[in-house]
Amino acid sequence: MAVILVVEDDVFIREIAEFMLLDWGHEILSASDVDEGLQQLRRPQHIDALFTDIYLKSAVLGGCELARQAISLRPELRVLYTTGNAITDAMKSMFVAGTECLRKPYSERQLQNSVEHLLAPQS
Amino acid sequence: MMSDLLPGRNGQRDLDASDIVEIVPSALLILDGNLNIISANGAFYHDFRTSPENTLGRQLYELGSRQWDIPALHGLLEDVIRLGTPLVGFEVAHEFPAVGRRTILLSARKVLRPGDQTGFVVLAFEDVSTERAAREDSRRNWQLTQSIVDTIRDPLVVLEQDMTVVTASKAFLTMFGITQEDARGRRVSELGQHQWDVPALRHLMEKVLPENKPFDSFEIEDDFPNLGRRIFNLNARKITQPGNHSHRMLLVFEDVTDRKQRERDALLLTNEISHRIKNNLQIIVGLIAFEAKQTAAPCVQGYRAMQSRIAAIAQLYDLISQSSRGSTIAVDDYLREIAKTMSSSLLAPGSDITIEVRAAALEIDPDRAVPFGLLVNELATNAIKHAFPGGAGHVILSVRRSGDQVELTVADNGIGMQPKSAAEVPEKRGSDYVAIFVRQLGGTIVPASNREPGTVVTILLPGLLDRRAA
Repeated sequence: MAVILVVEDDVFIREIAEFMLLDWGHEILSASDVDEGLQQLRRPQHIDALFTDIYLKSAVLGGCELARQAISLRPELRVLYTTGNAITDAMKSMFVAGTECLRKPYSERQLQNSVEHLLAPQS
Repeated sequence: MMSDLLPGRNGQRDLDASDIVEIVPSALLILDGNLNIISANGAFYHDFRTSPENTLGRQLYELGSRQWDIPALHGLLEDVIRLGTPLVGFEVAHEFPAVGRRTILLSARKVLRPGDQTGFVVLAFEDVSTERAAREDSRRNWQLTQSIVDTIRDPLVVLEQDMTVVTASKAFLTMFGITQEDARGRRVSELGQHQWDVPALRHLMEKVLPENKPFDSFEIEDDFPNLGRRIFNLNARKITQPGNHSHRMLLVFEDVTDRKQRERDALLLTNEISHRIKNNLQIIVGLIAFEAKQTAAPCVQGYRAMQSRIAAIAQLYDLISQSSRGSTIAVDDYLREIAKTMSSSLLAPGSDITIEVRAAALEIDPDRAVPFGLLVNELATNAIKHAFPGGAGHVILSVRRSGDQVELTVADNGIGMQPKSAAEVPEKRGSDYVAIFVRQLGGTIVPASNREPGTVVTILLPGLLDRRAA
């Protein structure tokens, strides 16, 4: 099982996602914005994956910026984005290479499939 | 004639000057020190439609209608005779009785023979009427062009083939705070703070004249002195002046700052609304997931179907915000998004059930898109749930135009319709929804033909096509 940092500014949505991830046996770290996310990433703790909303509070592409900095801190980190907005080419151009985006509203099964794919051994 | 007038001192013709004078294409006169005409060449008689009788022996100023009797010319010719100062290009415009209006350039030079200090004056007449008329036409055309250029509200410049500015409109000069003199002769890339010095723009501009390849809406956003941050769309095309074989380029600078700002504000608002709606839908989907966890297994499918319906509605918001044509909905994109969401929410990873979309490029009425999407969702959900007890099969969602109607077909290669039993009553809800959505859309379910294997449901939907696109 993995340690997953969940970054989501809506408390209810974050806790539901965390509830599901815990249910599947993962460990969870939480943050509600870019700064909190970076604080978690800078602590000396093991983190396998980042699951972040893109629109974080007032930062329209905050999740993209967070993931970019996260990879520079931890190059092996796996990243899964989520957003309620349409995924534009401009947004895609900011994605860390090889990552995916889960569109809201996502169901439990969709999140599970995405996380399994995210954590699958890379060839 | 000339040989008679330019004799050698020993009386012999040591220079056949008449031959030389005759082959000169311009009209020539040979004058003595009193400006009396000693000789004229054939070109003179031809150009001015005159004769030796009306020319030879007469003073220059008495010729014709005294057209050469010009005070300014008097002094200049005096200088030729007395001082030997050549006269070059003295312009005379006159209405000649026989040949009409002409513009003539007069040039004169004193010719001395060895030992003869009196000398002669050779006076040449160059007819530049055609060139002057062309120049005047060109000037008038250019004045017209400039006046048109100045009436256009968008700033623009006219460029030579080497990309230097020939002229700039008043709007351009005013907007960028420069004078015509500042702009003229400079390359566009050198103007201002070099905002237009962009390789991609240069590349496009270099093709406008040689390849007659205009371009539109090349966007440049930059900070401009006294203007602040502005966005311009640049458009360029080749222009040809009437009667002139040279080509120039018209480069128009359309200030789209306000429009772009409105578009950006609208996009921000759309994103903000979409973000909030999707988060609210996510909360509902999460609540359903919670309920599903505490519910007996037979009900879980119902909860999943509910999540899928919510997702179908959510797809619509994405398509609307992505659409560049306002709120028009492209049915093929819409169906593909629904199919993708259904696959990920209803089918397990590695499932042998596949969903295929075969949709014509049709635009549908956005007011009817939600019930249409939910109808497709219900029919496809029913197929996935009931048609493949073996866990493998193929579902095809197809849409095509049939006259003014849209024909929706959901087909599968499963076990076909089974007689309903009492135990299946809860599952009937999906079919009920189908009937409701068909009624809402004013559609008709086409009776199924006997087709084996599988089930085919075809529905004709009038009024679904977007009226603006139809």
